[in-house]
Amino acid sequence: MSLLIGTFTIGCILSLLALGVFISFRIFAFPDITADGSITLGASVAATLLVRGVSPPLASLAGFFAGMLAGACTGTLHTRFKINPLLSGILVMTALYSINLHIMGKSNVPLLSVTTIVTQSEHIGMKLMRGATSFNLAGWEVSVRDASVLGAILWAVALTGGLLYWFFRTNLGMAMRATGDNVQMIRALGVNDANMIVFGVAISNGLVALSGALLAQYQGFADVGMGIGMVVWGLASVIIGEALVGTNQLGLTLSGTVMGSVLFRLLVAVALRWGLSPNDLKLITAGFVFCALIVPQFLRKKWPRSAHA
Amino acid sequence: MLEVHAVSKTFHSGTPNEVRSLRGVNLDLAAGSWVIIIGTNGSGKSTLLNAVAGTFLVDEGNIRLAGRDVTRWPEHARAALIGRVFQNPFSGSSPSLTIQENLSLAARRGLSRGLGWGLKESLVARMRDEVGRLNMGLENRLENAIGSLSGGQRQALTLLMATWLCPELLLLDEHTAALDPKSADLVIALTEHVVARDQLTTLMVTHSMHQAASLGDRLIMMHRGQIIHDFRGAEKRRLRLDDLLARFEEVRRAEQLDESAAQMLAEKYI
Ligand SMILES: Nc1ncnc2c1ncn2[C@@H]1O[C@H](COP(=O)(O)OP(=O)(O)OP(=O)(O)O)[C@@H](O)[C@H]1O
Ligand SMILES: [Mg+2]
Repeated sequence: MSLLIGTFTIGCILSLLALGVFISFRIFAFPDITADGSITLGASVAATLLVRGVSPPLASLAGFFAGMLAGACTGTLHTRFKINPLLSGILVMTALYSINLHIMGKSNVPLLSVTTIVTQSEHIGMKLMRGATSFNLAGWEVSVRDASVLGAILWAVALTGGLLYWFFRTNLGMAMRATGDNVQMIRALGVNDANMIVFGVAISNGLVALSGALLAQYQGFADVGMGIGMVVWGLASVIIGEALVGTNQLGLTLSGTVMGSVLFRLLVAVALRWGLSPNDLKLITAGFVFCALIVPQFLRKKWPRSAHA
Repeated sequence: MLEVHAVSKTFHSGTPNEVRSLRGVNLDLAAGSWVIIIGTNGSGKSTLLNAVAGTFLVDEGNIRLAGRDVTRWPEHARAALIGRVFQNPFSGSSPSLTIQENLSLAARRGLSRGLGWGLKESLVARMRDEVGRLNMGLENRLENAIGSLSGGQRQALTLLMATWLCPELLLLDEHTAALDPKSADLVIALTEHVVARDQLTTLMVTHSMHQAASLGDRLIMMHRGQIIHDFRGAEKRRLRLDDLLARFEEVRRAEQLDESAAQMLAEKYI
């Protein structure tokens, strides 16, 4: 049971990453791989601040803003200096590797003996349960610690998702969605599309970094290599979400992305249980995304009509 | 209202593909006038509209709009003064956004966009009203993605969007060319209605000689990046379809003459 809850928790934490990837890849059609670096950036900023005794919510928020800054750099490289989106992301991601090392001062910062969001929510959970260490959920023995961490993360994800849903329906947010959809139109309506892209990629990387900040607190350390392959992971979640709920409605796609992330984590956990070597994980993930990208094309070629309907 | 002064634009300058799309174009539009532009393919009609809209900056000359020199303004800044409908019915709206979201984007053309709620009750009420007047049954489908509509419907909505906030200048680039005849008539009727209602200063490119003869109060003809004819007032009103066709024939013959002359010279001297 503890394993299942842990899987859910990590799935939820990584759903923030997936939401970030959704914004850059889907809303802006901007293949941004800064995320590999900014998830580590969020983790390293939060971890370094936590070790210095900063309050966990504040440290996580600092991670978010650091990620926004990284995203703004990528966006600026692309819009201002006309560098191809992929290359802009690679440049910033590469630079972030050194920056992350500088922030942490070493390649790994352990968080085992500091107050984090995890220890805080465990504390609150224990208080609510008046000291009980476990409770019974439909016949399962559930640890109060695990449940309260999951509760806190769920709450954070719901809040972020709600904020995003609201934001993308404000005047500014709608202009952003339209920028990815039809640049010609949005310029003709008086929007500076370059600013929109910079801001959008910033928000995307802010979410990714927030995800990294939470992940570091959950697993108890920040590591300079923890971001490798994370974009592909996020993309896999987005694709699963789209398969689950379609792409028609903003609210649905946002929640689909979260569900996709949790489901993907679940699938991975099952595969690992069945004996998949953790070393092969990234290979399998990449293979999965590859298939998800080409299968629709293949179907369209084979049955052009049914794919249109 | 609009003053285009000695504007030139060359694409791929200095390469074998060099195209001199505009050569010293002068055009003065009085407020409230509706100017039709005709001309052969590649004569620079779209380029002129793009130059005014700021899609690119011109090489020479200057452009004044509503009393301001906009020659160096970027496209998104000029959009505060300009409403635009493109030839491609899919260019003017954002397919994955709903009808009402598209309209609400247009309702803030040139204004600041902050965290205000995009779909205010009063705005949606006006949308239902105006979209209802299109008689396309779209007023009950405001929450549908605009990408699910037909080209004619999208073009009618794009026109509504372009004129939602009364623009200083309305630019129409063959906005009915891609539509079936029935939708084209509908969009033209709508164009006449809004232009008359809001007294819009309008610059409209068309390939339809019928539209050219029946619409607007002034007509200019372009050829090879220059304005070669300018009919206004009574002269424009007297213009008939046949006159226009005759003018085109003239241009065509002059063109052939040019070419045969060039060929003759080439044969003689090269
Ligand atoms: N962005 C551009 N880049 C390169 N060449 C261009 C560009 N825009 C226009 N041209 C060239 O300028 C010339 C005039 O084109 P323009 O589109 O203005 O013609 P047009 O009068 O609108 O013709 P049509 O009736 O076919 O629409 C053409 O030779 C075209 O190839
Ligand atoms: Mg044209």
